[in-house]
Amino acid sequence: MILALPWISMLTAFALLFVPKENIRLMKQLVLGSCGISSAIVLVLFLKFDPSKAGYQFLHRWEWIPSMGITYQVGLDGLNLTLCVLHALVSLAGAFMSFGEKERMKDYLFFYLILTGAIYGVFTALDIFFLYLFYETTLIPLYPMIGIWGSKNKEYGAMKLTIFITTGAVLALFGLLAFYHQTGLHTFDLIQIQQQLAMHPLSRGFQEWLAPFLLIGFGVIASLWPLHSWSPIGYAAAPTSVSMLHAGVLKKMGPYLILRLAVPFLPLGIQRWAAALSVLSCIGIVYAGYAAIRQKDLKFIIGFSSVSHMGYILLGIAAMNPAALSGAVLLMFSHGVMAACTFALIGYVYEQTHAREVSDYGGMAKLVPFWSVCFVMASMASLGLPGFSNFASELLVFIGSWQHFPVVVGLAVFGVLVTAIYLLRMVQHVCYGPVSERWPKLRDVKTLSEKLPFLLLLGGLLLFGFWPNGLLRVIEPAVGALLK
Amino acid sequence: MNLSLLMPEFTALGVLLALLVGEMFCKDFSSRLSAKVSLAGCFLVLAVIILNAKARGTAFDGVFTVTPLAIFFKVFFVTALMPVILMAQEFFPAKVKHPGELFLILWCTLIGSFFLSSANDLLVLFIALEIVTLSFYIMAAYIRKELISIESGLKYLIIGSLASAFLIYGISLLYVATGTTSIDGVRLAVAAAPGSALFKLCLVFVLAGIGFKVASVPFQLWVPDVYEGAPSPVVAYLSTGSKAAGFVLALRLLFSVFPSLEHERTLLISLLAALTILYGNLGALMQGNIKRLFGYSSIGHAGYILIGIAAGGVEGVRAVLFYILAYGLTNLAAFYVITLVGKTLKSDRIESYRGLSHRSPFLAAIMFLALLSLAGVPPLAGFFGKFLVLLAAVNHDLKWLALVGALAVAISLFYYLSLVRKMYLEESVQTSPILVPLPARITLGILAAAIILVGLFQGPALSFAAWAAQSLF
Repeated sequence: MILALPWISMLTAFALLFVPKENIRLMKQLVLGSCGISSAIVLVLFLKFDPSKAGYQFLHRWEWIPSMGITYQVGLDGLNLTLCVLHALVSLAGAFMSFGEKERMKDYLFFYLILTGAIYGVFTALDIFFLYLFYETTLIPLYPMIGIWGSKNKEYGAMKLTIFITTGAVLALFGLLAFYHQTGLHTFDLIQIQQQLAMHPLSRGFQEWLAPFLLIGFGVIASLWPLHSWSPIGYAAAPTSVSMLHAGVLKKMGPYLILRLAVPFLPLGIQRWAAALSVLSCIGIVYAGYAAIRQKDLKFIIGFSSVSHMGYILLGIAAMNPAALSGAVLLMFSHGVMAACTFALIGYVYEQTHAREVSDYGGMAKLVPFWSVCFVMASMASLGLPGFSNFASELLVFIGSWQHFPVVVGLAVFGVLVTAIYLLRMVQHVCYGPVSERWPKLRDVKTLSEKLPFLLLLGGLLLFGFWPNGLLRVIEPAVGALLK
Repeated sequence: MNLSLLMPEFTALGVLLALLVGEMFCKDFSSRLSAKVSLAGCFLVLAVIILNAKARGTAFDGVFTVTPLAIFFKVFFVTALMPVILMAQEFFPAKVKHPGELFLILWCTLIGSFFLSSANDLLVLFIALEIVTLSFYIMAAYIRKELISIESGLKYLIIGSLASAFLIYGISLLYVATGTTSIDGVRLAVAAAPGSALFKLCLVFVLAGIGFKVASVPFQLWVPDVYEGAPSPVVAYLSTGSKAAGFVLALRLLFSVFPSLEHERTLLISLLAALTILYGNLGALMQGNIKRLFGYSSIGHAGYILIGIAAGGVEGVRAVLFYILAYGLTNLAAFYVITLVGKTLKSDRIESYRGLSHRSPFLAAIMFLALLSLAGVPPLAGFFGKFLVLLAAVNHDLKWLALVGALAVAISLFYYLSLVRKMYLEESVQTSPILVPLPARITLGILAAAIILVGLFQGPALSFAAWAAQSLF
């Protein structure tokens, strides 16, 4: 079952090529079917997952190129299971939102499915070669998706995003190759490497040399300050479902790969650079927060807000203790769902109005009540209101990292205040105040199929907000294993 | 003497003679027929190579040898020729009076490269190389009424002769020092005199010849001009067949003649590789003509292949061979598109690619795929080639070189994506569709499938490359 996750989407994408251009109905059914089945599989896996067992579950392994030690190995632990759940929610909601694209629908859906499949690939593979292969495969569809179907400054945004992330990716590739060479095991198999390195860890000097390559390489996609500048521009330019997937899920691949590869294999290296990482993430939190205050464009606000939130995740990783790491992983989930939901909401209105400035709107609570309720909820989740899982996760990050970097955490907590300022101002201007006369015909989210993506995402947020243990029970053992 | 070892060469010669006789004696022997005979000949030769794949040994007193490496390159040369023949058949009839003759020259090139792959003697090696290079001089200047084509042929000729002079000077120095031209004999003599300055000098001269053929710094200056001026199908073969011929030369000379000068080889080649990668990829950033762009890009790729040679060993050579395979597939697909677009629009300007996705979604999609593969994006063939080359460099303590290669990927993505932007994001002034004939559709479909399949299921191609690489040591 787990093997099917990446390939369902990929194969459907190729099947889509043979559907005639006019048959949009069939295309939609195919896309919904493939995303729906994948999400159902993730749900089944989540229910069948046994948190009391150590190590990876649902393991499958095929020898791929034995002479180089490349195996296609898939399996789940609490870490990538959480991210699979995140991706299942966001990709399904994103599929609904991508039907809004009118022109060249087929090409768009084709790229969307390739992207979805490649992300599942990253989150299921347990072999360094395949992790990297899927990771870079996600880059292919992004450029045309943003470039063709995006808005405002889309060519610049698409190019900047692609070049930045690729540069990070090749730095990481170099690091991974050096790692493969240094272990001397001639295998890319994560589990085998883990077992070997548990007995014979790499030398301190090498770990300290290698860690920056992985931290910076994967940090770029996690929008580590000062390499974040692609992120707000890229998200502002991207079409709705790409913003959702990118801010929601793709960005989490950076911290995921750091957690999967750097934390267990280079613990000494991370410790050496932890202080620097914590300072950079703190600057990111506060700086991006301030930048968000100054923005007028809704998508830029959320874009900078996501940079700021990624800072908490990276701060949690820098602390390298169970509480902080669990918080970081939970925040990856919460922020992903929240960011996807916000981008979906903005995209829903933007499609009708083609206006994104905060000042273009007003009194949306009266105009479009259902939309506004969702928008307020997503914003509250974002600023860490108790009841949403963001609260629990940010708290865990702060508690965990307090003992290592009290000053940094003190400043980062200040970032929460900044977040509150820009989000509350945004909500106030958009949802309340005098009703804007410009959009008398604005349509609210009416039918069930329109409501479904929002219900799905907010439901996920609330479910794990009131029951964080539902995820923490699988995250904690996995994080413990990483630190061992 | 075992003449059956030469079966592929004899078959190729037979096809060449058949074409020649047809051209001479049959009045109605059209270029279309020449193309058909050539294509059938390619399949025949390929079949003969495969049927004789088990044969090993030497002929003509050891100057001719059949090794897995030779078989690998012969398969590559003849396979790469097939799409080139189809391209030539699309391209030339509208441009020249006697397009049929071009196929004769193409077959000369093929026979030359066959002997090059199997040469076990420095003189045979040189002569075979000259057959290949001379054919390309003619083909580059083939469109006599276009000044730019003649200019490109002439430029290629002048710089090529200079490089040949260097190479033959190096070979004659070797002969003076060792008294033999046999590759095995020279190797033993070189190994017996470690630290000899004369042999190091020979190595430098030989590198000049190699550098010209593979288009590496500092012998790369001809590339953009020749690529721009020469007919597109010829450039397609120049960038795949001729480049591969250059690497046959490099592999044979560096690993069969100078294995004992390993230290010097690594030092020189890794330096050249880094400079070549940077020159190619930085130069490509600011181009307005697509063939010039591909010229610079081909310089960059030569640099990546040189990384594998700098690393050396079975691992490095395996990476070299896989890279050549992946690059060949991809570049042929790209040049097929360039040929078709150039024929319809009468222009190779990058501007004329604006809105290609509307005018021909099929060609645009193939070009997109090819560009991604050239940029080394998975899961396409080009990615695994780059992966192998970089891995070989890291494993042989050339970490800095691997880092240069990795970072250049990001640079190359910029100009490849700029072309994608032209095709997909910008609207063209004209909107007339570009027709793609059926043979082109089929060939491009096969090439695209191969790019994806070799990238996804790397195993078979990798084993083929490894099998050939092992025979070199």
